[in-house]
Amino acid sequence: MSERPDRFGVDDIAERAEKAFAEAVDLDALEEARVRFIGRKGEITTLLRSIGSLPNEERPAFGDLVNDLRERILGLYERRKGALSEGAAEEDYFSGDPTLPGRRVLLGGRHVLHQVLRDIKRIFFGMGYSLAEGPDVELDYYNFEALNFPPDHPSRDTQDTFYIDRDILLRTQTSPVQVRYMEKHKPPLRIIVPGRVYRNESPDPSHASEFLQMEGLYVDRNVSLADLRNDMTYFVRAFFGSDAKVRFRPHFFPFTEPSAEADMSCFACRGSGCSICGRTGWIEIMGAGMVHPHVFRNAGYDPDAYTGFAFGLGLDRIAMLKYGIDDIRRLLANDLRFLRQFWAETAGEVFE
Amino acid sequence: MKISLSWLKRYVPIEEDAATLARDLTMFGVNVEGIESLAPPFTGVVLGRVLEVKKHPGADRLSLCTVDAGGARPLGIVCGAPNVAAGMRVAVAVEGAVLAGGLRIKKSKIRGVVSEGMICSESELGLSENHGGIISLDFDGKPGASLEGKFGQSEHVFDLEVTPNRPDLLCHLGIAREIAALYRRKLVIPDLFDLGAGGDFNLKIESGADCPRYTAAFIDDVTIAPSPAWMQNLLMSVGLGAINNIVDATNFVLMELGQPLHAFDRDTLAKDSIVVRRAKKGEKIVTLDGVERELDPGILVIADDARPIAVAGVMGGRDTEVKADTKRLVIESAMFDPRLVRNARQRLKLDTEASYRFEREADIGIMMDAAARACRLIHEMGAGTPSAACAELLDDSRNIERRTVSLRVSQANRVMGTELAGDDIAALLDRLDLSSRSYGDTVHVSIPTFRRDIMEEIDLVEEAARVYGYENIGRDESARCSIFSEVPAEDMRKDSLVGFLVSRGFAEVVTSSFMDPADTGRMGWDGRDERAGPLRVTNPLTEAQSALRTSLLPGLLGVVRRNTRAEQEEIRLFELGKVFLPGPERAGLPREELHLAALFARHSVPLQWMEPRRQSDFFDMKGELEALLDRLGLAQEAKMIKPHDGKGQIFLWLLGGAVLAEGGLIAKGVSEEFDVDSPIFYFDLRLDVLPPAGAGWPRFEAMSQYPAVKRDLCIVVADKVRYAEVRNIIKKQAQYLDSIRVFDYYRGGHLGEGKRSYTFRLSFRSSEGTLDSIAVDREVQRIMGALQRELGAALRTE
Repeated sequence: MSERPDRFGVDDIAERAEKAFAEAVDLDALEEARVRFIGRKGEITTLLRSIGSLPNEERPAFGDLVNDLRERILGLYERRKGALSEGAAEEDYFSGDPTLPGRRVLLGGRHVLHQVLRDIKRIFFGMGYSLAEGPDVELDYYNFEALNFPPDHPSRDTQDTFYIDRDILLRTQTSPVQVRYMEKHKPPLRIIVPGRVYRNESPDPSHASEFLQMEGLYVDRNVSLADLRNDMTYFVRAFFGSDAKVRFRPHFFPFTEPSAEADMSCFACRGSGCSICGRTGWIEIMGAGMVHPHVFRNAGYDPDAYTGFAFGLGLDRIAMLKYGIDDIRRLLANDLRFLRQFWAETAGEVFE
Repeated sequence: MKISLSWLKRYVPIEEDAATLARDLTMFGVNVEGIESLAPPFTGVVLGRVLEVKKHPGADRLSLCTVDAGGARPLGIVCGAPNVAAGMRVAVAVEGAVLAGGLRIKKSKIRGVVSEGMICSESELGLSENHGGIISLDFDGKPGASLEGKFGQSEHVFDLEVTPNRPDLLCHLGIAREIAALYRRKLVIPDLFDLGAGGDFNLKIESGADCPRYTAAFIDDVTIAPSPAWMQNLLMSVGLGAINNIVDATNFVLMELGQPLHAFDRDTLAKDSIVVRRAKKGEKIVTLDGVERELDPGILVIADDARPIAVAGVMGGRDTEVKADTKRLVIESAMFDPRLVRNARQRLKLDTEASYRFEREADIGIMMDAAARACRLIHEMGAGTPSAACAELLDDSRNIERRTVSLRVSQANRVMGTELAGDDIAALLDRLDLSSRSYGDTVHVSIPTFRRDIMEEIDLVEEAARVYGYENIGRDESARCSIFSEVPAEDMRKDSLVGFLVSRGFAEVVTSSFMDPADTGRMGWDGRDERAGPLRVTNPLTEAQSALRTSLLPGLLGVVRRNTRAEQEEIRLFELGKVFLPGPERAGLPREELHLAALFARHSVPLQWMEPRRQSDFFDMKGELEALLDRLGLAQEAKMIKPHDGKGQIFLWLLGGAVLAEGGLIAKGVSEEFDVDSPIFYFDLRLDVLPPAGAGWPRFEAMSQYPAVKRDLCIVVADKVRYAEVRNIIKKQAQYLDSIRVFDYYRGGHLGEGKRSYTFRLSFRSSEGTLDSIAVDREVQRIMGALQRELGAALRTE
């Protein structure tokens, strides 16, 4: 029967009836659905009455068709009724209304920044990176001097600093952990260092005076710029999707040379230019470079024996980009209505 | 920094459009942050057609033109250009037009003949310096059509991010040099005045370290006037105002070569002398901005015989500035110690274009050339007569020679991940004026003075990588991984605690590391409490962010306030973060403790139909903390106590001798300080006192196969007795106790004053066999006996 063309446009009635019966949660609801389809004023009856408008030679075929249909729907109804009656014979476990909401406990969730941090950590752990941490309140030496920022040098002006006293400050970057870690560990090493950093800047929608950064460091005998590009490209594709592209632009940081800023292709416009990427098709996501020989010397490594790369990511910025958050200050404001928006488990799988 | 496209084109041919150039420069390491398009610097100029040209009756070199400029009748215009001819299509500035340089066109009489406008040259439209003849336009259009924006020559200004290591890029020639390297084009160096040393002048420098080079050039017969339109337009395009020909010429050289110059009115110098020296304590100067400033020996000044006349590298003095009647000039082109300039700039709070560049270190090789360039421009403008000899002091002539830095080809390839030959690398560097020669594994590079950022091998590797193109570096094979990930067990434990709390319905929050010092009072911490003495930031943004938090609680209370205001009905939140306590831990740094604090406010369960709603209470807090301790495997070890000096309803949980957690009710007064009027419960757990994570693995123990026997026991005790005492006695007495639950608790009422009752369900089980009721009865009797003896407990019967 199914291969017969649906000459009268009636075949979907059975499907609709089956769906309505399935959605009926109890016998009352099923009865209501039955009446709608095969009751005295139901769709089938209406259909039969329309036979008068057909040419005589079509009437017998149409009559057969509608009767078949009625039989099918009746069969579906009986099956569903059997299933529901079985349950109904037992005790009423749902207070007469199973559509009432279930008993809920409160829903909780991770903060969006930490969600992003966790996802990124997982990717780097998978690549062989280990975890290291350092103090927020840091010595000037580790934050600047050991990283090749000379005292009284304009390169310090690029990072407005909060001071506790002359020698102690709030770290402006997670990079001080580079030297701290190298002082205590021999190469090869491959670490990520998440942590909060501080800049003495008046807050605005894209600048906060404290934010979450993640440093990376890889040192071995022959680590090259090419390795840096490979790792960063892998990370960006794992986190933002396998079609993301990465480009490196030369830049300057005192503690790396060659230095680069990395951009990824805009995930919103796929590179054609939109308001998110400032019409360039690219979004800046990190600073990176090859560890400067001076930094190696400060950490007691021989720069002729080892090479390495370092990179730094702003996690607030990445969270804002990924989720379209308009103002960085929302992140520390903790309005529950804001936080809840990111609680669904949508963390991307690696190379989805 | 602002760089104008048409200015750049003076030094290097550029065919690329602004957007392409910006992209290429960015990928070359000169980050273009924005492109601004400036409208051509004229208005009211229209297309016209010359109908007829006749001789001017009163002047041989002028013509009388009849021009169709789209109006009802042709205009009569006097024109001095030799190339004007009938039929030419020209640019006509009609009455009311404003030309480059600000000239406003009015109807006027020229040698007795009325001129109703002006036929323009390129220079009058600010398109070039060419004012030799009028422009002949070859594009179509009706006479009268506006020419604004028609020349495709509207100015583009790039906003560049110049990193502090590249002061040589703070000028147009520097950027042009990069473009020449990028596109392999030839750089055109600007023309100089033929200037030599040996000028007779009383110039002295106290310390060669403070001022390694000083050049003073001299200009006589000065005529102060406006500078030409082309120069004004270029200066304005990069945001500098036009002042007069002399000041504009020095500013032009600043933006062209990057060397700040200063012009002194020579006739105002006491004893026609200049000395570069440290300021004396208390010495004063009125700077160009009219402000009197007090100096000190940490500041370097330019002085004459009597007084300071400029703050070196920052700003000149008002007494000696160029004025409308200035006749003779000294033009200073010098180098100062960057630290001194930085110090003066910070001390005087005076940021200038000059200080910005001097702080990043001037190019010691360019002083004489910069002075010569200014002389040339002044001479060309007819603004004065430069003297061929300047006065110059150079502390150490070796400083202006090229240095040699070498690079190992093998090391360069190792860092870049490339396989370039020595000659390839030399060729890359040559493009940047870094003349290079390769011998075997070594490339010797001669470094010009303006590249003072290049000190050693790695600096050259970066330049080579940059010219080669980062985008051309990369390997096909996937990343090597010879090192394996080590994730500290503490980090995994932290993550699992967070996951647990999240599943218990807590919202994780992240609050500021800063704290308002006034919060210590709001929290009611007294002087003995460590938390009352937070570390202070010496240069805070605001008073409310001037201390480092000693506790997570003030921040979390702020979050409760915010969400109470936002009418959130169930508030259950936690933060896992650092607090900062004074008291040095190592190398003068404070102690950073990792805490986990949770707050419970308003309702503890969602509003729903099957059960009544409940306010968060003490036992919500205690239950979650106990569950957390269970997860940490510390449920048995952690002991709850009431501290001796404990104010309000606060308890401590001890682990060994250390405080593991604090918890209870936030005192009413404290909640009110944070504008919350419903009770708030909290716990605050120190993660740093936890035993090392991942140390002990649980050991499997076989479960009993025999059934449990349950007995309910309801006892009445005096009101001073506590559950914990009862439980301890039960546990001590029972031999087969499997679990104990209290499921009813009652005070006062029909029990009578001073009484309370607990109802327990005890479950007994043996691992050796099924317990019979006689054994269980014996257990219960023994328990009851001890409870009666030790606590005076009675069985409750009804």
